[in-house]
Amino acid sequence: MQQLIPPFDWHRIFVQPWTTDFSITIWVVLMGFFVTAACGLVGNYLLLRRMALIGDAISHSILPGLVLAFMIFKHNSTWVMFLGAFSAGLLTVAIIEFIHRQSRIKPDAAICIAFTVLFALGVALMSSLESQGTIHIDAECVLYGEIAFIPLEPPTVWNGMEIGPPSAVRMGIVLVVVALAIAVFYKELLVTAFDGGLAKSLGMRTSVWHYALMGALAIVVVSAFEAVGAILAVAMLIVPPMFAAQLSSILPVRLGLTVLHAGLSAVLGLHLSVWLNCSGAGAMVVAAAFLFVLAWLGTMAGSIRNRSLAVDRCSRDENLPQVRSL
Amino acid sequence: MRRLLLPLLLFGCVFLVPEVAHAVRISELTDSTMMDRAVRFFTFRDASLRNALIGSMLLGICCGLMGTFLVVRKLALMGDALSHAVLPGVALGFLWNMAKDPLAIFIGATIAGLLGAGTIQLIRNTTRHKEDAALGFVLASFFGVGICLFTMIQNVPGGNKSGLDKFMFGQAASLGRGDVWLLAVIAVLAVGTVAIFYKEYTITSFDAGFARSLGMPVQIFHYSLMLLLAFAIVSSLQAVGVVLVSAMLVIPAAAAFMLTDRLGIMLLLAAIFGLCSGAVGAFFSFVGRNLPTGPFMVLAAAAVFAIALFFGPRHGIVSRWWRQRSRSARVQRENTLKAIYHVLEGNEFRSEHVSLRELAERRRETLEDVQRQLTAVRRTGFVTLFSDAVTFTPSGWQRACEIVRNHRLWELYLTNAAHIAADHVHEDAEKIEHILGEDAVRQLEKRLNYARRDPHGKLIPGIEDISLGSIPQPADRATGFGPAPH
Amino acid sequence: MNAPDSSSTPLEVHDLTVAYHKKPVLYGIDLQVPEGSLIGIIGPNGAGKSTFIKAVMGLLPVSSGWVKIFGKSYRENCHRVGYMPQRESVDWDFPVSVMDVVLMGRYGRLRLAQRPTKQDREIARNCLEKVKMLPFANRQIGNLSGGQQQRVFLARALAQESDLYLMDEPFVGVDAATEAAIIALLRELKSRGKTLLVVHHDLASAKEYFDKLILLNMRLVAFGDTDEVFTPEILQTTYGGRLTILSEVAQTLSTTP
Repeated sequence: MQQLIPPFDWHRIFVQPWTTDFSITIWVVLMGFFVTAACGLVGNYLLLRRMALIGDAISHSILPGLVLAFMIFKHNSTWVMFLGAFSAGLLTVAIIEFIHRQSRIKPDAAICIAFTVLFALGVALMSSLESQGTIHIDAECVLYGEIAFIPLEPPTVWNGMEIGPPSAVRMGIVLVVVALAIAVFYKELLVTAFDGGLAKSLGMRTSVWHYALMGALAIVVVSAFEAVGAILAVAMLIVPPMFAAQLSSILPVRLGLTVLHAGLSAVLGLHLSVWLNCSGAGAMVVAAAFLFVLAWLGTMAGSIRNRSLAVDRCSRDENLPQVRSL
Repeated sequence: MRRLLLPLLLFGCVFLVPEVAHAVRISELTDSTMMDRAVRFFTFRDASLRNALIGSMLLGICCGLMGTFLVVRKLALMGDALSHAVLPGVALGFLWNMAKDPLAIFIGATIAGLLGAGTIQLIRNTTRHKEDAALGFVLASFFGVGICLFTMIQNVPGGNKSGLDKFMFGQAASLGRGDVWLLAVIAVLAVGTVAIFYKEYTITSFDAGFARSLGMPVQIFHYSLMLLLAFAIVSSLQAVGVVLVSAMLVIPAAAAFMLTDRLGIMLLLAAIFGLCSGAVGAFFSFVGRNLPTGPFMVLAAAAVFAIALFFGPRHGIVSRWWRQRSRSARVQRENTLKAIYHVLEGNEFRSEHVSLRELAERRRETLEDVQRQLTAVRRTGFVTLFSDAVTFTPSGWQRACEIVRNHRLWELYLTNAAHIAADHVHEDAEKIEHILGEDAVRQLEKRLNYARRDPHGKLIPGIEDISLGSIPQPADRATGFGPAPH
Repeated sequence: MNAPDSSSTPLEVHDLTVAYHKKPVLYGIDLQVPEGSLIGIIGPNGAGKSTFIKAVMGLLPVSSGWVKIFGKSYRENCHRVGYMPQRESVDWDFPVSVMDVVLMGRYGRLRLAQRPTKQDREIARNCLEKVKMLPFANRQIGNLSGGQQQRVFLARALAQESDLYLMDEPFVGVDAATEAAIIALLRELKSRGKTLLVVHHDLASAKEYFDKLILLNMRLVAFGDTDEVFTPEILQTTYGGRLTILSEVAQTLSTTP
């Protein structure tokens, strides 16, 4: 047991990362923050549409896309992988809808079938390639990523200036793009999530927004894949918005809380992983879940709950934030 | 009969496990070609291989049975969440004595699974989050805890070679005798429980409210099913892997659902599909030099599902498409018959023959089109085709009369009973005429007092005209057929 | 207490209050249903009609009050109650046949793990015959029309051979002929001394179908013979306006800790 849980050494856990190992720590934390925040922002809309498990499905099913793209183009440039994963994500959504529309299979089973089969295909391809020695994709990377290796990448150089590890830079850009897109299309995203019928009557193309959201989901999940793997990305999609929804019923506040939660879980997760000497991404998920449980217990304790119920009383659906800014 | 089959099958499998093992460890096998390995697989020479195969088949049975209830209760994603949530339990079970002890891992994982199910229930009851969020949370956060524990174990000396990584994507070859016995016990338990309480599980799955009104302990049956589900998941982990157990639960059951309308048969089919996919997965995993088993099992199950989805006799996509096609072909044929009748009627039944040119004019189509349609009709034996003309056979005359009668009766019914204007009823009758059954016709005739004329003043063929077998001869004019008397 | 008297009362409800997610739906319902009557439960949407019969059977948690079936608790006498839920309450793609569903009506009388006997099948077949669904016995339930599905549910309730029937909207999605056939069946049951409570949404036919009416709108507005309670004033009270103050005050009550 002593071997399993290292002793709690204040200096090693809390001081060292920010002093001697600063150059590594900062990028792990930043990457964790970028991933959690970008996934969480998109996840907010998934949660509103009650599609949290579509996030689960897509994050699993991008794997065969990645592997196939690699097999076809024989090199793992970002854009090729990206394209493969993106099309795999959209394929999943299409398969789910096909099975659901064309047969008597219910949507929940359709989701489960679509993503597990694609994931199985991905793992099967990956392991047969690996056994032939063609490529080496780490199975562990698929499961929980390699966030600790990100600071070791040769840094991106832009105009002669070293910015940082390319994965982190890419994830940062994705985060900024997602945040900007939410700011620009705030009202469209809100209305289509809140009331599809209303959105249609207002002349919006709901299916376009649906697929736009799916596209955004695929983008964040693909970029997060490297750092946190396929399955832990689900946690990043679902847990921050749940934390935010637990504390507020107003969408802009929720978005803010999501970002705050992302930062907190990145830092907490880092220290946890330093202490226990375990997977960084896993520790960040544990930290994120822990924060949600705290919020949950807090609301159960009462004080916040009363207020949020009082707010609920005047909103149409108690599970949706108020449409205040419309 | 059907109830006996499964246990028999099961015991057969269990007794196949031999006492003596002159085994080579699978990793030590030196056969080089795929062929050699395939031969080795089918001769069942090695005990470890037998373990792998029997284990995979048993897990297929367990998962198929439990998956059936998941699918009909719309709990597929619950299976997914629970199968991810057992991961920390696996790690803790391993930590119990730092070895891959099947029982310790089984207990740990079951506890973790039940804890996950409890957390889902708790989130749903005490927060405003919906089912999907609760499932997603448990799935992801439990899995995260599991990952942390796993990476911690790997740092412990001796933890690295523990073979715990096999729990991720599954490796049937790593099944030991203990694992197979465990699987056998779970399979017997699952089959037995489902067989004994079939009635109770059916009614609580179909209509829980009604079951409760009968005074049944619905909650107990629900939780016992969840417990069995947890057992099935946990005992299957090593061969299929954490990530893909849910696929083995849902896919065979979904394939069975495409093929049958009875729960009993669905259970049986799902178990068989599960068993077959298990065996196929074990085979590919072995032939391909210890590739992970789970993905291949899932792909085998997916192939079965795809076949059922497309070619299922009643609900399959292709079958439905085919039925639709043949229906529209029939409608087309019947429309041609009707057109011939109309031409005959226009000629006041003076001749049996209808020239193709007349028919083409009537249908406003080219001669070639008409010829093609008539060839299709001739295949059903309704018409005799000459070089430039066509006549009805007796059965053709009958069918044509029926169609025209259905059309005109329906028009009359719509104008008389539904008060729709006479010039608006044609379109509707065009569709109805092909699907009106004999019973409905009798009712309509009665309702309309056996009227002889439709709203446009045309004669409605009656039963005597239909039984005539050919177009009316001049002598039959007395019955009112032929040119309308002025 | 006068035991023989109360045990012949099919349903006795005392001060029943039901809340859904802490929002009260029914308030202090208090009534005694006499034996051998056909009773309609009517009221506007959201008045708690379905909630009422579900609460009677203990399918919903009751905040206060009690229910007695033939003088005993529901659990003790559940075999004397037949229930016909709303058609939407089940998944009609479920892989069971019409016969299977009707047989479920017999399950309450079977022991745990006991299979339906020949006699049960015979009874189920008779019930199907009564609703004229015997030719469909082997069909999967999803292949039926709405009216046929209602008739299957009715047959299942008949197969329960109970003394008190609780029916939730049996006339929804049913054509006029089926509706007439169902009401004839219900009247026949009544003439055999059974008691029937039927949730109904159509005011126009309610007057003609039932001999007694329960008018509900969150609370019991009136209960009595149809001619007495089917008056413009009582209907106005039942349907006119929600009890906004009542529900708001109740909500504040439930949300303050």
